[in-house]
Amino acid sequence: MAPKKKKEIDQDERFQAIVLTDSFMTRFMPLTSKTPRCLLPLANVPLIEYTLEFLAKAGVNEVYIMCSSHADQIQQYIKNSKWQSDDVDSPFTVTTILSLESKSVGDTMRDLDNRGLITGDFLLISGDIVSNINFEKALEFHKFNKANDKEHILTMCLTNASPYHRTRTQIDSAVFLLDKPTNKCIYYQSIPSSNLPQTSINLDLELLEDIDDEILVRNDLIDCHIDICSPLVPQIFQDNFDYQLLRSDFVKGVLTSDLVKKTIYAYITNEYASRVSSFQNYDAISQDILSRWSYPMVPDSNFNLTSYSYETNHIYKEDKILLAQSCKIGDCVCIGSNSKIDEGSSIIKSTIGRNVVIGKNVKISNSYIWDNVKIDDDSVIENSIIANNCQISTNTRIYKCVLGYDVKVASDKTLNFVRIIDKPIERVNDFEFSDDEEDSQTQQSQGFSIKESEDLVGKNGVGHVYISEVESDSEIDEDEKSLHKIGHNFRMLNLSDDSIESVTKKRRKKTRRFSTNSVVSTDFEVLSDEDEEEDFNKEAIDTITRSIENNHDLDTALLELNTLRMSMNVTYHEVRLATVESLIKRVLHFITTKTLEPKDALIKVFNSWGMLFKRQIFELNDQIDLLFTLQNVTSNLDKAYNQILLFWSIQILYQLDIIEEEMIFKWWDSEESVETDKLINVRGLTEKFIVWLKEAEEESDED
Amino acid sequence: MVKELTIEILALVDPVVDKLKRHQLSGDKTIALEISQLLMRVISAARWNSPFELIQIIRQVGKTLNTAQPKEIITGNIVRRVLAIIRDEVEEEDQDKDQTMMNSIFSLLSTQKPDKKIYQQSKKQSSDFRSIIIQGIRDLVDEITNVNEGLENMAVDLIHDNEILLTPTPNSDTVLKFLLKARSKRKFTVLVTENYPNGIEQAHKFVKTLADHKIETVLIPDTTVFAVMSRVGKVIIGSNAVFANGGCLSNSGVSSVVECAKENKTPVFAVAGLFKLSPLYPFNRDDLIEVGDSGKILNYSDFKLVDNVDLVSNPLNDYIPPEHIDIYITNIGGFAPSFIYRIVLDNYKPEDTHLD
Repeated sequence: MAPKKKKEIDQDERFQAIVLTDSFMTRFMPLTSKTPRCLLPLANVPLIEYTLEFLAKAGVNEVYIMCSSHADQIQQYIKNSKWQSDDVDSPFTVTTILSLESKSVGDTMRDLDNRGLITGDFLLISGDIVSNINFEKALEFHKFNKANDKEHILTMCLTNASPYHRTRTQIDSAVFLLDKPTNKCIYYQSIPSSNLPQTSINLDLELLEDIDDEILVRNDLIDCHIDICSPLVPQIFQDNFDYQLLRSDFVKGVLTSDLVKKTIYAYITNEYASRVSSFQNYDAISQDILSRWSYPMVPDSNFNLTSYSYETNHIYKEDKILLAQSCKIGDCVCIGSNSKIDEGSSIIKSTIGRNVVIGKNVKISNSYIWDNVKIDDDSVIENSIIANNCQISTNTRIYKCVLGYDVKVASDKTLNFVRIIDKPIERVNDFEFSDDEEDSQTQQSQGFSIKESEDLVGKNGVGHVYISEVESDSEIDEDEKSLHKIGHNFRMLNLSDDSIESVTKKRRKKTRRFSTNSVVSTDFEVLSDEDEEEDFNKEAIDTITRSIENNHDLDTALLELNTLRMSMNVTYHEVRLATVESLIKRVLHFITTKTLEPKDALIKVFNSWGMLFKRQIFELNDQIDLLFTLQNVTSNLDKAYNQILLFWSIQILYQLDIIEEEMIFKWWDSEESVETDKLINVRGLTEKFIVWLKEAEEESDED
Repeated sequence: MVKELTIEILALVDPVVDKLKRHQLSGDKTIALEISQLLMRVISAARWNSPFELIQIIRQVGKTLNTAQPKEIITGNIVRRVLAIIRDEVEEEDQDKDQTMMNSIFSLLSTQKPDKKIYQQSKKQSSDFRSIIIQGIRDLVDEITNVNEGLENMAVDLIHDNEILLTPTPNSDTVLKFLLKARSKRKFTVLVTENYPNGIEQAHKFVKTLADHKIETVLIPDTTVFAVMSRVGKVIIGSNAVFANGGCLSNSGVSSVVECAKENKTPVFAVAGLFKLSPLYPFNRDDLIEVGDSGKILNYSDFKLVDNVDLVSNPLNDYIPPEHIDIYITNIGGFAPSFIYRIVLDNYKPEDTHLD
């Protein structure tokens, strides 16, 4: 079938798939500090294999793998895998694309659009999917709707479940509003996990205007991000550069926007599909695979050059394993090759990697033990993940823990509910920018703090507690509470799930550092990131200067500036600072070349470019901030004309309606504006203006 | 000494291996034909100096296919059939050459080592040899495609007028053709059992086709089979693979039906094409029975059950022991289960039973 198919495809259109390998989350920390999420083993097979296998079955012809964090590892993996394109065996061509600057799904999509790879409809999928969906049917559904609805741009593949299903992530879950006869998606509302249980969703009634039939409100769907997209999707991301997330930004944005007017459909199936997106999910999906819900994606299919054979009660054994006569292997167990299990040990509902040595009378239940782990006699491991090369000494108890790579635990220890990492993430300290006082403070209070803890893993042990920033907040409690409240059966750890995106909204500064944390092992990125910080000011000034010199129109300049802001992820304060500095620089240029008098130069520049601020100011506080910035910048200038500059710039901004008079008064009366001699000095001329303003106000009051 | 397969041959084999792993080939006949076509391509592409090298290559291919999907018996059958064709050809040539030697008493006592020099064929011979074997495989393909013809001819003799037949969980095209052929001369009733959850649709389609051909058909769940068995004249089962001991693999649900037939002393006919006969013995249940999608047994969306039930298992096949089958109906005639080993010997060479 394959060779025939390929011939047909040359004439027909080629079907492309984009695999997003980076989740831009830190949920799998500390495991993801060394390995990208898509290479974590699930039932002893790297996650990405499941996705690629799904694509191979779906009949995709071209696969593009978008890598950002740990890109080198992914590239290396693909290079050595059976999927490599020059291998005749591969059902599709695989190309890895480095998208190192991407900090969110949105960035990746924009990058994708810039590269112009997309030729037709394509499949957008993340690199951590396990699914046996009959994709042809989904594609048919997509094509059918596309033929009927010209505005159709996206089909989401969703599977039926119940609201508290174990595989349904509590973090990503969402409510879908669907048009009953067509399955057109009308509204999307994600359910925040850490907040109190939500019992209602707010709905804009306009959305329901066109509906003449019944609508469905569904909170029982697993959304594992298998999407069939039209080429318009990356373009929409390009147009809306604030879109970060595929679902809560893009889908919601498109559905509620009056401008885009595109439609999204949902393909709902009863087949199996899930996405490994948190530790709870990892547990659930591992069990699903072992108990064959994901058939034929089961270990004994051996699609990844393994050699598993199936035995009754869902036991999977690879060759060359050594089992002592008295050891007990219970239901749903998967054991990799060259592993050894000694007398009296019992294992149930677990996976054991390759080259694992398990001593006598060890009890393992519901745990995931990766390769090359050594577990000594009489230990008990429950509901835990033990990563590669860990060593666990005799009589140790481990409950609900995640042990990172190369951790050693000494004997007679009890670990409960912790994440352990072999050594603190040292590079975190590199991020303390010495020039940024505030930043390093937040670093200490909210960033990753690593506790030295010798009594945790014992004298000969290697390991430190890993605490993510959300845990150190009070949020974890709420998280826990709400999850217990909704009755989710916690078989696994409910350690915190912090996503970059959710943090994004709170504080942009913070975000950037966290995202780099997922890539800490790649030094060059760390460096480039640090540079960015310093670079923004310079770049922004260059951008504006260029615009002024080449006489661009205001909108272009603004757009450039905004893009720069987005890509470097800085606040508007920085943007304003850069704008002020560049405008003043321009003024100084006129003054020093003696083409114009200070006053005329300033009036000329601010009159034509002052409107830049209009789009950088959103709140009243921003106005005050701008005034301070102006004052600060001008105070450092030559005393000969700095008063004139400040006076006129404020006056012009006032005339342009960018600054309101109350705010000017507020600034004028504030203590910070008279802190230093320099600052007082620069106020000199402006006083007259203030007096004038006050008089004018009084006059108007009298009127 | 096992030689690794060359790249050209791997290029031919790997797509089939992938398809087998992904379960993209369905239906015994499809698989059988696909494998024979593959072997034909391999033989045309392979280079060898002596027939033994060719045998090695084919064995290697067989091993690869077997590891890809160890529970698919048919792939091994076809590979072994082709090996038998090659070995027969070699023996024939052998006999031509050593006619005189063979007759002497000396040759009976001496251990015959295959002297490789004898088989150093000239180019012409080798291309002749190649075409003879490919012709042999063509014949095999013909046999597989026309498997129903041989079977159908026996239908009229075996089915009587006004008889009530029972076919448990049918998905076999062969059984369908068998019944349709009998309908041309005879008038009878067919009871069809369906087995939840696998192959229900196929059972319904089967019933529909029979009804369309004016055969009186009744569809019942396989749990009620005990109630109707006393009225049944014959049980006709399809088979996925037949083993040398006379046992066979059939669809899940068949086992309980034949058990019941045994209680009622109802004769059980197993219908099987010759290519389903395997020289293997069913030693271990786990090696034979494919376990399928648990989601068909228990809906995955039913969270409460999924999370609390200990084990959900969905075996797709049943092993039927030889004592539960009265006769095998193949395209070369009807045989008792105890005689199957003999037919296996006719079609396969004992040295190929284990491909490793």
